[in-house]
This record gives sequence, structure tokens and C-alpha cells, in this order.
Amino acid sequence: MKPLRIALTKGRLEDSTVDLLETVGCDCSAVRAKGRRLILPVGGNLEVVLAKAADVITYVEHGVCDLGVVGKDTILEKGGSYYEVLDLGFGKCRFALAGRRGTDLFSGYSAKTIATKYPRVARNYFESRAMDVRIIRIEGSVELAPLLGLADAIVDIVETGRTLRENGLTILETICGVSARLIVNAASMKLRKEEIETLTGKLERAVAAVPAGGKEEKTC
Amino acid sequence: MKKNSRITPEGTKDFLFEECLTRRSIEKTLGDVFAARGFHEVVTPGFEFYDVFDPDFSGIPQEVMYKMTDRRGRLIVMRPDSTLPIARLTATRLQNLPKPVRLYYTQPIYRNNPGLAGRSDESVQTGIELLGAAGLRADLDALSTAVEALGKCVPGYRLELGHAGFFRALARQIPVPDDLREEIRSAIESKNYARLNKILDGLPQTGQVRAMRELPRLFGGEEVFDRAESLCGGDGAGGPLGYLRRIYRALSDMEPGGRLSIDLGLVQRNDYYTGIVFSAYVEECGDAVLLGGRYDNLLSHFGQPMPAIGFAVDVDAIAKTLLDRGNVCPVPPMDVLVHGEPDYEIKAAEYASYLVGKGLRCETSVFETRDEAVAYAQKSGIKRVDLVGEAVKTVNLI
Repeated sequence: MKPLRIALTKGRLEDSTVDLLETVGCDCSAVRAKGRRLILPVGGNLEVVLAKAADVITYVEHGVCDLGVVGKDTILEKGGSYYEVLDLGFGKCRFALAGRRGTDLFSGYSAKTIATKYPRVARNYFESRAMDVRIIRIEGSVELAPLLGLADAIVDIVETGRTLRENGLTILETICGVSARLIVNAASMKLRKEEIETLTGKLERAVAAVPAGGKEEKTC
Repeated sequence: MKKNSRITPEGTKDFLFEECLTRRSIEKTLGDVFAARGFHEVVTPGFEFYDVFDPDFSGIPQEVMYKMTDRRGRLIVMRPDSTLPIARLTATRLQNLPKPVRLYYTQPIYRNNPGLAGRSDESVQTGIELLGAAGLRADLDALSTAVEALGKCVPGYRLELGHAGFFRALARQIPVPDDLREEIRSAIESKNYARLNKILDGLPQTGQVRAMRELPRLFGGEEVFDRAESLCGGDGAGGPLGYLRRIYRALSDMEPGGRLSIDLGLVQRNDYYTGIVFSAYVEECGDAVLLGGRYDNLLSHFGQPMPAIGFAVDVDAIAKTLLDRGNVCPVPPMDVLVHGEPDYEIKAAEYASYLVGKGLRCETSVFETRDEAVAYAQKSGIKRVDLVGEAVKTVNLI
């Protein structure tokens, strides 16, 4: 029997995901001591693939990985069609609209400029408010854009808000909460239902056992 | 040379040799199944007016349609789907035919997919539409055609059944505005339990809300029916459920081997589909290889209300699956190479026609000399060279 393959997001979510997998009885020693290998067996007919967040979605969408762990921020930005079955409760942060203190983005008639790493999230947000804005994609520290006068505000993920504060910016509005999600390929869900449900059931119980941290956010 | 003269646009590709043979053989197998069950082939235009595919009733987002304008500035789209043109055709040119009308097609559809995601913008679909008939017999007709078609071309598929009316009956009894209802539907479609629970937590906890909460989990084998029945305890959703169970039982008799399953959370295009919905999956392919269902409201948009059901098979996806499995239709070398000696070129051409008439696969040599012809045959794997001069001399190569 082919092992179930789960793609994990490298970096920010990696440690918490590995902890969670260990809680449900996977042997993640190969993942912890991975060196440069990218596909790692963890026992229990499960195989871990380490990838960048957006690639996790790509691999799951095409069905070359059956499951994936990825942040809601990437899901909202990249879209696609797959099942989003579990909120894993870690990697919590939020999407926010931020600008210099005192910025009023919603009055006046001049079109505003928004800098962001998440153009799709920004566009959807402003479309839902029926506002035409100009969106500029920035790859690095988005906070620079309003400081340098390139943009009126930014749309970005905010964890503690410290970077914003230290640069004289403030949250103008919270767009939605973000956390790590378990996603599943649609065909895999149908063809390997029992294995996948056993795994998601274990993960769900493990997540429920962890007391929810942070305040309640609007779930996307 | 122009920059784009040696490449094809993203999302398109050339199909070569065994890919073509495999694709054609699937098209032929499926076409034969459809024809043997009384479906007649039609071909609709490659591009049509945008109005035929109006997102309001087609459920196809306008972003995925390739558009252009005609000479009078009217909006035209490259066919993104074959069911809508067939509905148009049935409501207009075929409106006086006795019902039911049984049609099938094999033609490409075009979708403007997001870039760099490895999706095809052009893909061949073949499918049937059974128009002007409602009820169990018509549904079984379409489903058993699907089962037979899949069974003949793709071993190891799984067919999944659902019913659009189940969600609709539950939703009707939960008083929420349309946009929230759409959010509930979309959370169920993507099996997003967290989002669904969040929405439903804010509503009075009635039996219907409890059933709605379980909807994305209601997939699997026949046990799903018992779970669903105990959840909705004989209210409006019982009708679709009982009906689906009858269909499921009938199909299990037709198709033993556990390849059938149920998903009551199949709620995609819920304003388009009105009754049973179904899709088929194979292991190697991340998307469904067959999609279909009953769409009784569509024809009224073309002025001729009538019930209808149909499905489409993704021929390219099945061809790719078979090629990946190594089930290749090999391209065999020619049986004979016919080489005409100088002054016997016309006789050689006649002789080649004679061999073809006898059923041999036969290529004529375009080379000046015998040696070049033989070398070419060796390179191409052709085992026999017939040299045509005053007499015909056969050279057998090893």
C-alpha cells in the first residue's frame, strides 16, 4: 500500500506541526534530523514532504500529496480547490489593514494606494467594501511603503504588532484571523477515506486537547 | 523569426503518436457505448455568444472564459462547457423532436485557468445529455451509461453519488439570508468544518442545523444513509435521501465490487444541479475524471423548460492516467517499405496501393537509391522492403 503523503510548510509552522504529529504517535526523528532530504518517512504508512507554503497547496491540489499543513494566509492568497478539513489552532496571527496613525482610508474621494505581499487578499477585501484601490505588490518589509510615501496603507499579516508600532504604524482594521489548516486533496479524500479519517480524527482530538490560546478571531 | 513562433500558449500542448492513439481509442470506446445506448452525436460551435454561458445560471465564473467580440461588437466566448450549448440547441432547433432527446458529444472545452499551475486550458470532454425526461428511469439510464463507459476505459475508478436536493431541503428550513446560505454551502463544499461550525454556532440549534453541521462528513458507503436518516428524522430532506438510496441499491447490483460511494456534501453548483449529482475518481488523478448530475432548471433559461440529466468525461485526464499506468497504445512500425527503382516510380506507387488494398500498412520510399531506402527501413523498424523494378523483389530485414 502506497504511504499517505503529507506536505508540511517549512519554517514558521514546521516545529508546531512536527510536535502535533509526534503527539499522535508519528516518529518524526527523521524530520527533526532531516539534513537536506525533502521526503521523509515517519512510520505508520505516512510520509512527510517539506515544502514552501504556496507549494504545499500546489502539491495537494494536484494530488501528488494527499494532505498538507499550510497557513490560512496562503490559502486565502492562493485559492484553489481542495478540502480544508481542520483548523490546527497554531500559527495564529491575523490579516490587518495598517497605516500611519490617524490615516482615514474610508473618507474622501481620491483612490488610495495599498502596498501588500497579498494582492489577492487585499483586492478581495476592498472589493467587498466596493472600493477601487491601486494595489502595489511588495516582496519584503511592506511597512516601508507608507513610511516612504509609496502607499496610503498596507495589508499584511500581523502577529504581535510590534513591527508596526516601532515604525509608527497602527492597525486600522482587522480583516480576518489566520491559523494553520489541514488541507486534503479531493480525490484522495474519496479514494483513501478510512486512512485519512483515522489520521484527521487523531489530529482533531490532539488539537482539541490543547487549550485555545489568544483571543477569539473571526474565522475565515 | 518571431519570438512566439516556435512555442504554444501556456495551458495548451501538442498531442503526439501514442498520446493521440490513446485519446482516440478512449473517444471511440466511449462514443460506441453512448451510440449503443441510443445517444446521437452532435458538434456545437467552438465559440458562441457569452449569453449562452451567463454565469447567473451556468455557475461558470466569467473569469475562466476566453472572450472576444464578433463583427458587431457582441461578446463571444470559446466554449467553456458543452452542456449549455446542447441545452440551447435542444430548446431551439430540436424543440419539436419527440422527447426524450438523447445527445452525445466529443469536443474540446476552453478555460482560462490561473497561470503557472500546470492546468490545461484546452481539454477534450465527451459526454451525454438526456433531455426531456425526469425520474428514476432517466437517472438510472444516465448512471448506468456512466458505469458502463468508465468500466470499459478506466479500471479502478470510484463513482460517487450525491443529491443536490438534500442540502437544499435542509437550507430551506434554516432561515438565513442568501449570502450566509452561500457561505454555508461553500464551507460544506470545501469540507471546511471550522468555518461551518463558526457560522452554525450563531444560529438557533435546530435539528436541521445539527444535520447541516454533519453534512461534510456524510460520505462513504451505505452506512451514510442510516446516519443521515437519524440526523434529519423524517423531515423534508428524507425525500432526496430515500430516492438516492434506491439509486444506490440499483447501481450496487449493476456494479458490485465496492466502487460506489455516497457524498451528501457534494454541493458544488447547487443552483445549477437540481437532483442527483455524481463524480468519478481514479487514484492517479487529483481531480474528478467524470462529473454529472440532473439540471432541471437550465432549459427554462432557453425558453423551453424541461428536465435533463447528463455527464461529461475528461478524456485527457483518462488518457494521461492510462499512459502513466503504461497502458500505451503502441505506434507499430509499418509492415512494408516500397521502393521504386529508377523509371519504376509509378509502378511502385501502384504496387503500394495494391498492398494497402490487401490490408498491409505500407509506406513508399522517397529515396533515390536502394541503399538509402534499406537504411531508412532499418532505422524505422520496418522489417520488409519491396524493391519494385521489372519484377518485385522482397528484402526481409532482421
